[in-house]
Amino acid sequence: MQVALKIWRYDPIAGERALKEYEVSAPEEATLLDVLDIVKDQVDGSLAYRKSCRMMICGSCGMRMDGAAVLACKTRMYDVAQEGRVPVISAMGNLPVVKDLVVDMGPFWGKIRAVTPWLEPGYSDPGETEHVVSQERMDVIHKESLCIMCGCCVSECNSMEADPDFLGPAALAKGMRFVGDPRDQATVERLQSYSGEHGIWDCTRCYFCQERCPKGVDPRDAIAKLGAEAVSAGIDSDMGAKHAKWFVTSAKTTGWLRETELVPKTQGIAKSLKEVKFAMGLLRHGKVPPPFPPHVAKDVDEARALYDLVKEQGREGYEGIVQGEKALEQLELESESDGAGPRDPYGEGSFAVPYLPGENGDEEAE
Amino acid sequence: MHDVVVVGAGCAGMRAAIEAFDTGADVGVVSKLHPTRSHSGAAEGGINAALGNRADDSPEQHAFDTVKGSDYIGDQDAIEILANEAPGDIYQLEHWGCVFSRDENGKLAQRPFGAAGSPRTVFSADITGHVLIHVLYEQLMKRMEQGPMTVHEEYFAWRLVVDHGRCVGVICWDLVSGGLKLVAGRSVVLATGGMGRIYRATTNAYACNGDGMAMALHAGLPLEDMEFMQFHPTTLYPSGVLITEGCRGEGGYLLNADGERFMARYAPNALELASRDVVSRSETTEIESGRGVLGSVLLDLRHLGAERILDRLPGSRELAMTFAGVDPIYAPIPVRPGAHYHMGGVDTGNWGETELEGLFAAGEVACVSVHGANRLGGNSLMETITFGRRAGQAAAEHALAASSPTPSLSVAPMADAERDLKTLLDRSEGERPWKIRDELGASMLENFGVFRQGPKMELQLGIIQGLRERYERVVVEDKGPVFNTDLTQALELGSMLDLAWVMVQAGVAREESRGAHSRPYDFPERDDERFLRHSLTRWKDGEPELDTKEVRMTRWQPEVRSY
Amino acid sequence: MKQVAYYKGCLASLSAKELDISTQALAPKVGLELVELERVTCCGAGDIHEAEPDYYLHLNARILAYAEATGSDTLMTVCNVCTLNLRQANHQLQGDAGLLERVNANLVSVGAPAYSGGVDVKHFLWLVSAGEGYELLREAAHKGLKGLRIAPFYGCQILRPSKLLGFEDPDKPESLERIIEACGGEAIDYPAKIKCCGFPIIQAREDVALAELIQPIEQAKEAGADAMVTPCPLCHLSLDAWQSKLREQTGKDFQMPVLHLSQLIGVAAGLDDSELKFKRHLVSLDPVVEKLAV
Repeated sequence: MQVALKIWRYDPIAGERALKEYEVSAPEEATLLDVLDIVKDQVDGSLAYRKSCRMMICGSCGMRMDGAAVLACKTRMYDVAQEGRVPVISAMGNLPVVKDLVVDMGPFWGKIRAVTPWLEPGYSDPGETEHVVSQERMDVIHKESLCIMCGCCVSECNSMEADPDFLGPAALAKGMRFVGDPRDQATVERLQSYSGEHGIWDCTRCYFCQERCPKGVDPRDAIAKLGAEAVSAGIDSDMGAKHAKWFVTSAKTTGWLRETELVPKTQGIAKSLKEVKFAMGLLRHGKVPPPFPPHVAKDVDEARALYDLVKEQGREGYEGIVQGEKALEQLELESESDGAGPRDPYGEGSFAVPYLPGENGDEEAE
Repeated sequence: MHDVVVVGAGCAGMRAAIEAFDTGADVGVVSKLHPTRSHSGAAEGGINAALGNRADDSPEQHAFDTVKGSDYIGDQDAIEILANEAPGDIYQLEHWGCVFSRDENGKLAQRPFGAAGSPRTVFSADITGHVLIHVLYEQLMKRMEQGPMTVHEEYFAWRLVVDHGRCVGVICWDLVSGGLKLVAGRSVVLATGGMGRIYRATTNAYACNGDGMAMALHAGLPLEDMEFMQFHPTTLYPSGVLITEGCRGEGGYLLNADGERFMARYAPNALELASRDVVSRSETTEIESGRGVLGSVLLDLRHLGAERILDRLPGSRELAMTFAGVDPIYAPIPVRPGAHYHMGGVDTGNWGETELEGLFAAGEVACVSVHGANRLGGNSLMETITFGRRAGQAAAEHALAASSPTPSLSVAPMADAERDLKTLLDRSEGERPWKIRDELGASMLENFGVFRQGPKMELQLGIIQGLRERYERVVVEDKGPVFNTDLTQALELGSMLDLAWVMVQAGVAREESRGAHSRPYDFPERDDERFLRHSLTRWKDGEPELDTKEVRMTRWQPEVRSY
Repeated sequence: MKQVAYYKGCLASLSAKELDISTQALAPKVGLELVELERVTCCGAGDIHEAEPDYYLHLNARILAYAEATGSDTLMTVCNVCTLNLRQANHQLQGDAGLLERVNANLVSVGAPAYSGGVDVKHFLWLVSAGEGYELLREAAHKGLKGLRIAPFYGCQILRPSKLLGFEDPDKPESLERIIEACGGEAIDYPAKIKCCGFPIIQAREDVALAELIQPIEQAKEAGADAMVTPCPLCHLSLDAWQSKLREQTGKDFQMPVLHLSQLIGVAAGLDDSELKFKRHLVSLDPVVEKLAV
């Protein structure tokens, strides 16, 4: 099939960026990586990109297609070619570009190293053989341990774009991999370290990382697990933690969010006083609901009782998130609109499916 | 100047670097990829050790299975070392935090694997290589914070530097900023992996071109058992992507076009879990006899049920869906043999030492020989750890006892390298490497694949000669210094062409069928009298020169090998 | 008329009352009979999900249970964050019988009803941008927007994670554009329409949030939009109320009016000011009102 691409080239010697278009002939089962190989071999040998395994495990080939980070080796070109689209291929975001589609992963690895990414066994001594740990207990970090360090999440992180020092989804997910590992004894130190200015509470909850991750790591959920553990461990002096805790307090007292008090509860009285002018503006437009009388939900005592019950049952910290993972893993993609449905950036291939005697083509399921 | 230079940062390289560091050496790791991109990470099914968690087992049983699997030319002393030291090495990895799958008692789970008398393959779902490479890189990062552990990342190692009969470093092309750089050390550990990319149908990554083997060959070292290339039975078409043996370990069936579990005819006891060479041959026979489907056989997992597949084999399911368009919960996967692992390599002793002072080797690049003529699934990962550790220790001890190399070392080899590189880069007209690469891959698959015969191998030698001549006129389009993979890909092709010649030459000389070297038409039987020996190849005056070496046997005598 | 259980969430009850008022006024015109849920609480936003996740699950299960008790099969939300939270909890409960059993036991023991998994959570946007709701919207929008140029701002949690939301392509959504056009307006395209407004961290990390917030507003302005529309009251609050902070910080005075979705449709459907409550916005809607001569 004929495939056309536009690629953002960058020449580091001349310091020039240019959008170049290429059209090549490729097999129907070709991936974006295969097409890049054909371009490099047959059209322009100077095209630079990383690759290695071509089976979505090494994490080398992260790049952007139409502005969204994907693994080139996983991205089929069949749909694109059929629809006659010409995607724009560019280097991943939030990282300096070295040449063409190659980014400098130095800052990425720097953040990984900043979360102490190795087991700290402390003084625990399992003896000569293995630590005895149940599969269920290890499953707490099942998703985080899938991470192949490709950088797709970091590429799209809205928080990191606004704050380049944000530790970011990959590093924090790696942090959770250790916080959730029963053999690691440095949990408290980790949570303290990850709760700093550019840590857990810097995450803007845009869920781009979760959407882009090609391995199902769910970095935003990992960050939420860290937040849950931090609050549970009393490491909650960050404004973000205070903000989150006020929601809990609101729910179990009045049911509805106590909006007006949210500001001083999060930022403290002193800072809130500096916001008086801003607050006046809000007040004039009725955006500051008076804290008295409190807006109380009907039968809120049920919510209060639920809180006590939940606390008693003790599914603390990350457990509250992990408990839902089994159901979410089995989720089928739903489509409720007239057409589009959820995005699958990796596309359908064109493959001949083999049949056994007595079976027909209906065997293939989605 | 480092004490120990480790070339390659896969499982063997990283394990060696860690051990060298822990032994007290200043370590410099050279890798053409970022370490976690190394192909060890693509391993799936598991790593073997006689832990005895699932069933009765012993290092002796493990060793015997390996000796038999090697078709009796594995060096038994090395095999016994592997079997004895494996459990301790696995526990060390677990203590470092490796994320292994657990059994119902919370201990390390073990699954059955090909040609194993007892289920001893420790695993992590079907991404064992991934978890190993990450735990090793974590430990590497820890040491980078602690002391003299440096990683020269995206340095393409090209030539070994030998000075006064010692290996003192490696000349590399710096991929990031360009230019040749010398990384010098008192000892060097080669851990550069295999060369599956010589074949068009391979499970291997683009990076697996045998660079390290070629470097050693051209430094005068002998390569052992080069004719033995393992074809993994279950690779996808057309990509060659690996589908783990673990699928069969969990109970998957191999079916032909008639829906028959054909392995019953070839290996009535072990069925799908016979040794890999046996299974690959069986599949090829079925396909060539017209009982294939789309040029493949079918790996059927449907009877395992969705829960088991999602729990134990989720990675394989994703690979099958992405690269073959089938969901194994509902449909069988089309698979066929693909070049996967090279049993041969740089001849080493049990501590990774080579005949060149200061040069060590471990992992797929080395041939101790633990695998002989065919390796068991799960043994390669174990080899990288156990012999990586040993080579790292030995290299560090050697470096700490050795004196510094003489200062004049860098001039001549570097000048030669600069000159050769300039010749290549200055060429403005010629053939692009990809055609030569594709023809090499296709012809090797055709003439030196699962089944071999004299005339085809001779034909292949002629083809390789033609390709080598064309390679003399290969042209690199990218002349720039920054991230010039056009250049490194051309250099990789050179390695592959030389190694292909060595492999086929050794194949012609071995007039028997043993392990992965199968000659059903001209020499269908194993010939212990003439060929119970290792082949050795040296590069002499621009061409391979053959020799042999005896097999070290401790306890087991060759027997008829059947499954 | 389609009966739906109506969960308005915290903001629509309090600082964004205009959202509730306009939604309730608009609903019958687009074929929706709203049964307002009263025995409910805050859904927890991302905050309770992060600070007390087990509690988050229970609060949302209770909301779903009370919705189911009304007899409707649909729970309608008017906020992105509520939508994601409720849908996520719903998927967890529907997909894990053991989890549902435990949560139900707790609900029942505090006097709330049990939940059997029979409710689907849909944002108002989804109900009126496709199918029958869309047809009714086109009929209802008789007054039209007279070609008013509207920049849609989706807000993260109505699009991502698409596995949990799944209504439309998260990178090329079209529902707001369809509605704008059906109402007689001109939809403006710009890159940041699917990016984050920064609201979740606007208190704890104001500078970071403002660096995010400026992008959609500035781009919409440069693309010539008369106003923006958003389906999320949290995004609305930051886009509208925090423009003054952007002015303070950057000196740029965008004066970009921001409408709730229900207000946009409401204008086109002829709702009057008592039902739109434009005075509650910080950035004045006067230029829009003038253009429409409402």
